[in-house]
Amino acid sequence: MRPIAKVIGRRHGLGGRWPFVALLAAASACGGVVEQGAEESDAERTLSLVETLGGLDTAGYARALAVRDFVFPEDHGPHEAFRTEWWYVTGNLETDDGRPFGFQFTIFRSALAPTPPGGPSSWATNQAYMGHFALTDVDGEDFRAAEIFARGGGGLAGASARPFRVWLEDWRLESVESGDAERAPLRADRGAGRDPAAGVFPLRLSADQDGVELELVLEAGKLHVRQGDAGLSRKGPEPGNASHYYAHTRMPASGRIVKDGDTVAVAGLAWLDREWSTSALSEGQVGWDWFALQLDDGWEVMVYQLRRSDGTADVFSDGVLVDPEGRRVALSWGTDVEVQPTGTWASPVDGSVYPSGWRVRVPQRGWDLAVEPAVLDQELRVAFRYWEGSVRVSGKGEGGEAVTGRGYVELTGYAGAGR
Amino acid sequence: MRLLPLASLRYLTQHRLQLVLAVLGVALGVAVVLSIDIAIRSAQTGFRISAETVSGRATHVVVSDIGTLDEAVLLKLRIDEDVSAAAPVVEGYAQSPLVPGRALRILGVDPFSEGPFRPWVAGGDSGLDVGGIIAVRTGVVLSSPVADRAGLAVGDTLPLLVEGESWFLPVVGLIAPGDDLARAGLSDVVLMDIAGGQEVLRMPGLLSRIELRIEEGEASDVTLERVRSAIPAGVGVEAVGTRSETMTGMIAAFDVNLTALSLLALIFGMFLIYNSVTFSVVQRRGILGRLRALGVTRGEVVGMILREAFWIGTAGAVLGVAAGLVLARGLVGMVSRTINDLYFSVSVSSVDIEPALVVKAAALGLGATLLAALPPALEAAGANPRVAALRSEVEDRVRRLVPLAALAGVGLCLAGGLILLAPTRSLLVSFTALFFVITGMALVTPAGTLLVMSILRPVLRALGGTLGVMAGRAVGSSLSRTAPAVAALVVAVSVTVGLGVMIQSFRGTLTRWLDGTLRADVYVSLPGPTASRASGTLWPEVVDAFVAHPAVTGHSTYRGFDVVRGGDAFRLVALDLDPRGESAFDFLDGRPEEIMAAFRNGDGVIVSEPYAYRRGLESGDDIVVTGRDGPSAVPIAGVFYDYGSEQGTVMMARVAYDRLLDDPGITSLGLFLDPGADSEAVVEELLALVPPGRAVIVRTNDTLRSASLEVFDRTFRVTAVLRLLAFIVAFVGVLSALAALQLEKARELALMRAQGLTPGQLWRLVLAQTGLIGLASGVLAIPMGLVLSTVMIFVVNKRSFGWTLHMQVGPDVLIQAVALAVVGALLAGLWPAWRMARAAPALALRGE
Repeated sequence: MRPIAKVIGRRHGLGGRWPFVALLAAASACGGVVEQGAEESDAERTLSLVETLGGLDTAGYARALAVRDFVFPEDHGPHEAFRTEWWYVTGNLETDDGRPFGFQFTIFRSALAPTPPGGPSSWATNQAYMGHFALTDVDGEDFRAAEIFARGGGGLAGASARPFRVWLEDWRLESVESGDAERAPLRADRGAGRDPAAGVFPLRLSADQDGVELELVLEAGKLHVRQGDAGLSRKGPEPGNASHYYAHTRMPASGRIVKDGDTVAVAGLAWLDREWSTSALSEGQVGWDWFALQLDDGWEVMVYQLRRSDGTADVFSDGVLVDPEGRRVALSWGTDVEVQPTGTWASPVDGSVYPSGWRVRVPQRGWDLAVEPAVLDQELRVAFRYWEGSVRVSGKGEGGEAVTGRGYVELTGYAGAGR
Repeated sequence: MRLLPLASLRYLTQHRLQLVLAVLGVALGVAVVLSIDIAIRSAQTGFRISAETVSGRATHVVVSDIGTLDEAVLLKLRIDEDVSAAAPVVEGYAQSPLVPGRALRILGVDPFSEGPFRPWVAGGDSGLDVGGIIAVRTGVVLSSPVADRAGLAVGDTLPLLVEGESWFLPVVGLIAPGDDLARAGLSDVVLMDIAGGQEVLRMPGLLSRIELRIEEGEASDVTLERVRSAIPAGVGVEAVGTRSETMTGMIAAFDVNLTALSLLALIFGMFLIYNSVTFSVVQRRGILGRLRALGVTRGEVVGMILREAFWIGTAGAVLGVAAGLVLARGLVGMVSRTINDLYFSVSVSSVDIEPALVVKAAALGLGATLLAALPPALEAAGANPRVAALRSEVEDRVRRLVPLAALAGVGLCLAGGLILLAPTRSLLVSFTALFFVITGMALVTPAGTLLVMSILRPVLRALGGTLGVMAGRAVGSSLSRTAPAVAALVVAVSVTVGLGVMIQSFRGTLTRWLDGTLRADVYVSLPGPTASRASGTLWPEVVDAFVAHPAVTGHSTYRGFDVVRGGDAFRLVALDLDPRGESAFDFLDGRPEEIMAAFRNGDGVIVSEPYAYRRGLESGDDIVVTGRDGPSAVPIAGVFYDYGSEQGTVMMARVAYDRLLDDPGITSLGLFLDPGADSEAVVEELLALVPPGRAVIVRTNDTLRSASLEVFDRTFRVTAVLRLLAFIVAFVGVLSALAALQLEKARELALMRAQGLTPGQLWRLVLAQTGLIGLASGVLAIPMGLVLSTVMIFVVNKRSFGWTLHMQVGPDVLIQAVALAVVGALLAGLWPAWRMARAAPALALRGE
């Protein structure tokens, strides 16, 4: 569940304004690439989720109405008939000597109109792209984020399934074989036979911002996981308020980070979320807390909680466990899984209060995990302000065994809420 | 000490006409200077504001010599070189029937790239529906000034003619510029998405430029270097101001010429002041002498005269500013029209009245007044109290001064001539020299007047007997009063002669040049923003269809565009000539057959005279042209006479051009017809071949010729207006001087009347005197005018625009000049004659 993408997907906000426009305007103020920084105007520019919600004009777009039998590699590529889509990679990395880093790399696609305008120009498009890239230097307690936008035309941004490639300027996620083959030392025969989704792997991910570069090769790791009902993830009671959603929950990652001139080799685990939809958010939903935890015993847990304006969790909140073999164990919200905040953190920008630290329990299976931010301040001060950061996990896992792990948490709808 | 101001006041109120005319002279001078200044400034400001608004916050631009570059360059910069603040722009001009008489500027941008440059495009506070702009094919966003004028709202359709193609473009948004500056800057802008811009401007795959924003700082040089090394040959990066500076530089010569003409009006105003102050001093010799005898010091006398001049100057300046502001409104349109015709599209949405200009003009007027009043004031102070009142003494002194003045005048003329010979292209120097020459010639006029009178004496005796001789002698005997009047009239008339001959020569040269250059029978081009040069690209299928017309026996193609590179600007033209078109060039030197042979084979280029002159080049020199493989040197095969572009033109054969660049387009086409064909009928038939929705201009040789001359005439309308204004100033001066002169002679005339002169004879005497002054001025003005026109044609024009005009002196200009002077002088004599003929001689005699 990725709230940011919800924002770029809405066409009609308050007063006829359209959120992407506002995002753009915000981006313009900082010169195209919004770098994480203490800018006083951040608070003003942040849009509340409520503001960005409005009537949904879904006419002309494809809808996620029924379970879809994913076809790969096509479904790795863009689904331009849907309004919103993203390639969302998060992960925790470490240098040889144990220096930990976290990263988030996201490319959002948003259709501006159901059909392309046509015409002889290569710039003609109805697709827009937005990218977020954040790096957390845990020991240095240093978090940096950047945001860029481009249209899906003129070669500046785009996506394709064959060869698999998603790019926004020089930020890219692509099959290694579409680039240079020698970067594929781990290719071997892994995965491809068992999991059709793994055919495009290994993937190369590269992104940069001021003073920070990240370059990784991602392996498929486990089988891909279809979220919700066999890949159809419902977010609201209305038919079509749903997305197509699958994930690669444990991708071995290796590569390098360049930070302020220092290059370090890193390796670790990454998580890819693929989701596309036309409308997913319903009336009264103000934000959500999303957890993607990778445990050292080979299990993963993904839980998201949709929050309603009255502070309660929406019934369409959801969760899933993935066992070391890649099998999916669905959790029923409210009965199988519980998430409780254990602390709070206030944004220095405007004092917006986020939960910070949680207790995640799956009582029937003996799970009781403490989740703590690796660094307190991992708020992306981009056009739509939110918190997304690396977390540390410890406690009891499958069968009540002691376990540790790492993961990523996303918190939205807190910044600027109530204003 | 109240005596002197009272004396001043009394004199001035008693000589109201003189006072009014003096004030008027200053006022006109100030008005002309101010209005020209404002008109030029408004045009410049209009250009600058729209350039700045449109380029937004860009610091640098990536541009190519030929005006377009491959859009792949942008990708290279944004992706490979990681230059994030780089925005693609396509730009072009269009006309809409809803906004008549005004070129609209199509600006195609990528809203997603606009944040760092034009935040108002990127949405946000402007409330623009960016999604709509991108997703609606060829959607346009109008600035509210354009929308208001066209009467359009969102959802309407804007009819637009772009390079000959008709479009009906959906209006998807409006921008309401936040402040006046932005409003002015956007007053002609039609904003589009880059995809739509490329489509309607017919340039898919190409950009007009890439804008960069490189923040000042250590890294800026590194970034620039990275950009430079990433762009291909023929593409350059320059600071954003350079381009608009180069373009405003193109009109510098035009501006200087107008300013010089306006200053001329002020100089006439100075003559006028000098004239009337001198006259007032002469008239008050008696009282000034008595005042001096009473103990008034020289300084006090000078002060008194200068104070008078100060008040006249102030009143004149105030009136002049008021009149100038009114006049400016008319001139702004003319000046910007000329710039549009000749140089580039400029939209002047408002008359830009800078307080500094107003102050400058007023101060110039006042300063000129005081300066002009200084010599007579000193003369008044220098008068010996005892002999001050003696007229004869004054006239004697003046007469003694005549040869000295003539000598000084000749000296000044020589000095001016020497300055003109100096090897410089500075216009300031040229105009300074011109001022020397004019002043020098003015100083020679008293001697000239005496000469003319002595020549005329036998004629006058034969015609008018004693009265005739008297009339002639009076001109010479009251030289202290007639000399300034004659000088003013001579200068004014000579300037009109000079300007007249210059314009006539220019037009004659242009006509001859057009006759030689326009060899084809029918010309085809696209409707474009500037009248004097074709732009855009003709559709190949239309070209093919035209060439295939049965009456067409041959054709020449022309590809031309303006190259703006660094601080340099010129027109680059590729020609594919029909053999019949090869004789169109008239070369400065060399054998035309050899030159054209080299040209045809692509072994050399030919350049226009202004191009060579401005850059100090001649045949055999190399020029550097930049093509797809980088810069290369090409020899100049010949220099041809050309009056089409003062920036200069470089022409190369199409074969050479195609080796240099990938640009198959054709800008205009010349068709040669079967000798028996009726070109008017062929034009109709060709127009019928043009598909609906497209517009081309198809003109016969004659039509194009007269259209070109029409542009020329329009260009010189401002000059003509200035010529008229300058003449009015001088005329007012002459009127005042001569009228006052005659009035002063009231006593003398009354004496003659008492001795038996009839009113009719008095009429004749007075009119003969003023008429003689007019005649003398007219006659003297002719050689002076010819000298002036020579200087203007061979020095000022050459230095300003780089071209050689062939001097042509038609009798009409000369006859006009003499007639103007005589009629003006006669008119000036009417009122005094009428007044004195009616006055009773006894009353007039008792006057003192």
